[in-house]
Amino acid sequence: MGRATARAPMEKPEALNAPLFRSIVEQLEAGGRHVVLELGAASTPMLELLGQFRCRVQIADLADGGIEQLNAAAALEDGAAAALAATTEALLPSREDEPFDLVFCWDLPNYLKPAAVSALMQGIAARTQLRGLAHALIVYSERSMPERPGRWMPGEALRLVDKSGAAPQVPAPRYSPEDLGRIMGGFAIDRGRLLANGMQEMLFRLPA
Amino acid sequence: MFERDKKGDRGFDDATDRAAPPPPRSQPAPASRPAGHSGDVAVIGRSIQINGDVRGDEDLRIEGDITGTVQLKNANLTIGREGHVKADVYAKSITVDGTTEGDLYATERVHVHANANVRGNITAPKVGIEEGCRFKGSIEMDQEEVDKALSKVNMSGKAGGPAKGTEARIGPTNAVKGAAGS
Repeated sequence: MGRATARAPMEKPEALNAPLFRSIVEQLEAGGRHVVLELGAASTPMLELLGQFRCRVQIADLADGGIEQLNAAAALEDGAAAALAATTEALLPSREDEPFDLVFCWDLPNYLKPAAVSALMQGIAARTQLRGLAHALIVYSERSMPERPGRWMPGEALRLVDKSGAAPQVPAPRYSPEDLGRIMGGFAIDRGRLLANGMQEMLFRLPA
Repeated sequence: MFERDKKGDRGFDDATDRAAPPPPRSQPAPASRPAGHSGDVAVIGRSIQINGDVRGDEDLRIEGDITGTVQLKNANLTIGREGHVKADVYAKSITVDGTTEGDLYATERVHVHANANVRGNITAPKVGIEEGCRFKGSIEMDQEEVDKALSKVNMSGKAGGPAKGTEARIGPTNAVKGAAGS
C-alpha cells in the first residue's frame, strides 16, 4: 500500500486470542456441511482444523498475485469498474459452484484499495449463502503494517498465529468500521473485537 | 450460523516418494524386474510424454509429461519434481512434488509438497499441504461427499473408457493407452 520503512524486530509470532474466530469454530462444531472460502494460502493447521468438520474448502490464495491484480485494476483511470469485475471473476471460483457459508479474509483487506475491496467482496457476496459470514483482521491501532499479508493460521487453543516473520513496514490504511461498512460489498458488520496486537477482529454477515 | 435457507501433514508414509536404493554393483538387479521400475515403484521417466490413459494396480512415480487421465485406484501415485500431469488423477494416495492441472481423487490421502504447483480440485479424506506450495482450487474433506465422489468415479468410470491408440507396458500391471513418445 505504500513505501516500505523500518523492519520490525524479529520475534516469536504472537499467538492471539481471537474470540470471533473461536466462535466460528464453535458454530462449525454444531454440525452440518459448510463451504469455506480461504482467501489466503492453504495451510496444514487450517486444513487439519476444518478437516474435523464436514467442510469443502476453496483456496483462492490472493497473496499469490491476486492483490496486485486487483489494485492495478482499481488504479485504472478508465474502466476500473469493468477491470475490477473481470479480475474478481478470474480470481474467484465459478459462480456455479456450491455457495460459501464462511469466508476467511484474514488481513488481506488491508492490502487492497477500497475499490478493490468493494469489488472483491461484491463478487464473494454473489457466491455466498444469505447470512453467510466473513472473518477479517483489520489493522486499526497501528499506523504501519508488514508490507505483505501475514500467513495466518490457527495454533494452540484456537489462537491465531502469523507465521510470516519479520518484514519491512508500510503505512496501514486503517479502515474504520464506517469504511468497512461501505466497502465490504454487502456484508454488514456483525461484531468486532480489538485484539492484543492492535488489530480489529471483524465478523461480517451477509444480510438475509 | 449459515442457515441454508436458499441455498499432511508430514506424517505421510512417503514410501512412494523414495526410489529404493540401487542394488550394489556386485549384485545384478533381479532378472524379473521390468524396465521402468525403481524398486517396487514403476517410473515414467522425465523424457517420456504420454497423451492418453494411464491405468494400473501398482505404485507409480511420474517424472515425465502426461496429458489425459491417470487411474491407479488401488495404488500410490507420486508426481515427482520433474513431473507434469495435465489430467484427472485417481489413486489410493497421491503425492505431488511437481505440477498438476486437473482434479485429484484419492481414497486415502493427498499430500502436496512445498515445491508443487497444483491447479485443480482435491477430493480425499486426508489432505496435507506443505508451506510454500502453490495451490488454487477446492479441497473436499466432507467424508460423505468424498465417499459420494469416489463411488461415482468407480461406478461411472468418469476417468474415461478405453482410448484409441497403442498400449505400452510400464510395469507388470500398469498400462498406457494413447500416444506415448520420448
